[in-house]
Amino acid sequence: MVRYEIKKVFSKKGGKTAILALLLLLAVTCFFATDVVYVNEKGIEETGYAAVSKLRHEINEWEGYLDEDKLRQAIEENIRIEQTPEAQSKDWHMNNIAYSWKQGFSRIRDLLNYSFASGFREYDYYRADSLKPEDAPRFYENRIRLLKEWLEKDETKYMFSEAEKAYLIKQYEELETPFYYDYMEGFVNLLEYSPTIIMITVLIIGYVVAGIFANEFIYKADPVFFSSYYGRNKAVAAKIKAGFNIYTIIYWIILLLYSTIVLMYLGTDGWNSPIQADMSGWKCFYNIKMWQAYLLTVSGGYVGGLFMCFLAMYVSARTRSSVLAVMAPFVLIFIPSFISNIDSPVINKILGLLPDRLLQVNEQLKYFDLYQLGGHVTGAVPILFIVYGTAALLLVPAMYIAYRKKQ
Amino acid sequence: MELKIVGLTKNYQDIVAVNDFSYTMTNGVYGLLGVNGAGKTTLMRMLCTLIQPTRGEVLWNGQNISALGGEYRKALGYLPQDFGYYPDFTLWDYLMYIASIKGLRNTVAKKRAQLLIEQVGLKEERNKKMKKLSGGMKRRAGIAQAMLGDPKLLILDEPTAGLDPNERIRFRNLISELAQERIVLLSTHIVSDVEYIAKEILLMQKGKLAMSGTVNEIIENLPIKVWSIEVPKKEISSYFNLYKIANVRTESDMVSGGKAKLRILSAKPPAEDAVLETAVMEDVFLYYFGETAGEQYGQI
Ligand SMILES: Nc1ncnc2c1ncn2[C@@H]1O[C@H](COP(=O)(O)OP(=O)(O)OP(=O)(O)O)[C@@H](O)[C@H]1O
Ligand SMILES: [Mg+2]
Repeated sequence: MVRYEIKKVFSKKGGKTAILALLLLLAVTCFFATDVVYVNEKGIEETGYAAVSKLRHEINEWEGYLDEDKLRQAIEENIRIEQTPEAQSKDWHMNNIAYSWKQGFSRIRDLLNYSFASGFREYDYYRADSLKPEDAPRFYENRIRLLKEWLEKDETKYMFSEAEKAYLIKQYEELETPFYYDYMEGFVNLLEYSPTIIMITVLIIGYVVAGIFANEFIYKADPVFFSSYYGRNKAVAAKIKAGFNIYTIIYWIILLLYSTIVLMYLGTDGWNSPIQADMSGWKCFYNIKMWQAYLLTVSGGYVGGLFMCFLAMYVSARTRSSVLAVMAPFVLIFIPSFISNIDSPVINKILGLLPDRLLQVNEQLKYFDLYQLGGHVTGAVPILFIVYGTAALLLVPAMYIAYRKKQ
Repeated sequence: MELKIVGLTKNYQDIVAVNDFSYTMTNGVYGLLGVNGAGKTTLMRMLCTLIQPTRGEVLWNGQNISALGGEYRKALGYLPQDFGYYPDFTLWDYLMYIASIKGLRNTVAKKRAQLLIEQVGLKEERNKKMKKLSGGMKRRAGIAQAMLGDPKLLILDEPTAGLDPNERIRFRNLISELAQERIVLLSTHIVSDVEYIAKEILLMQKGKLAMSGTVNEIIENLPIKVWSIEVPKKEISSYFNLYKIANVRTESDMVSGGKAKLRILSAKPPAEDAVLETAVMEDVFLYYFGETAGEQYGQI
């Protein structure tokens, strides 16, 4: 039964086209995710696989614990390069040559910009250039100091409760330092493009499974279906199973392909670095490693996508319309991004718990959405998993009942 | 094996689609005759547990069908009037899918499906997509689908609609072949579909059971007589105003001398030279439904 339900979906042109489109978009996403630029000693940009290994080679020269010594070295090297004629030149081509010497430690340089910023929410690309080697010891302290200063400002007064502020500081203090510095383009890019591939996958599978419950009505095959022996029980369950299987199998195949392609191309190095070791995660209060962040991101995508697909199926079971059903995931994904322009602590708290956030856990990890449950402070990520995991489970009996009762 | 319909009623807002319908069926073909909107489909949908009756109940071997649930549906085969299928399934996949939701085990399903596609003459079409089948083939696929579970109760809603005369005859034969050891309830508004194969005929009128019985019983109980007379062609219309006319036969003036032969329903002879004829089901249909059922005496 389940087999034929799945066959029903993919015997249609729409089903086949959707899968083709998904594979095509996967290829496009991988193309962008594997894009790495290396600037050679002539100041010319190189891309492609050769650029990857050249860049890795540059960075490997700096590999090791990012302690005071290494930071001092980086600052000194930066100062040295800044004083060369190439760096001083007004010719951008010359500047590029100077940049090519910095590639090995450019990620350290980015972190310095953040650590020595004038405020928690400030950023100055040239900040690193004005540092002195003596500044090195303050590198990790700064992260905590800037947070504390910010939390004392008026702007955060209504954003966080005292308990929440204490929680943030505690999380910051608990971060293990020094970081291990390593080539990590693979994981950084993998994380950066994962919401793209997850959203594409969920939207397309949502479209595919939306028809599962509407088909009978669209084809007027419902009288035969409902008057059959299993028409009001097992055959309905088979539809739910088919939806679940289609989603689960395609989701993991696509993400496995995505991860494999990107990591094979860019390498898995840096998998065990803390997410704070890249500037994109510098401010995160979740103290996790790159591989954990990625695992959370793909599992979050799975749970959130399952919820959205089940919701689409539920809508199609209720309304007999696959058009309305297809809209459900779109609305859930795109509406929050319109509302997010409103700057209000309450709205932000609500937005932090909408299911679209589960499709971009890597981004959510950076948001300071905090919730207090019975005196216990937690970030949005664990709540999202629990809420939408449960909701997806609850949709199973809901769609079963909604469909079997159809007259 | 007994299907007992007791006081079955279905209201749609102010329309009474089926009105206090009662009947009991055992083995054999039952022809449900009625014009458009008589309530045939509504009645059948209630028998198939697709809609809930407003009042009344249906008993299968003495037990209420909605209480029986799956057990009753297992004994049921249904070909809806508006027969929908999965256009991109091959005939074989379609039958195998329906077999699975009917709870047939795989080996049984294959055997039954093979047998049925031969019986309905679709062996060649086995791997054709459903949407590529002709209208008549689809109907036959529909019958095969309904027969998959070897149902004790086979309900066919206008299975001959849209078929050409030859296919219609084949269909009739097929249905009498299938009718052994089961109840077949077949709706139609074409008398000839059921006249010869039905054990009993049910005449349905505005939701009610107007008349029922074997063909002979119904004809014998017709409370009106059938006459034939020859009249000049120009008088035909005046007869139409006075009587229910079952049939008008005109031939070229060379043969008939400008006259037409009329078949008239009337308690008394419509004219002195009127000849009393034996009534047939067509006349019954005309009497009850006030319109001719077409086809049988089709004017050429
Ligand atoms: N879902 C519905 N809602 C409202 N009225 C309905 C509904 N289904 C049927 N009816 C009405 O009930 C009456 C009987 O309809 P039904 O389809 O049972 O007739 P039928 O004998 O099958 O006609 P046909 O020969 O055209 O198929 C009609 O007047 C129809 O308009
Ligand atoms: Mg009908």
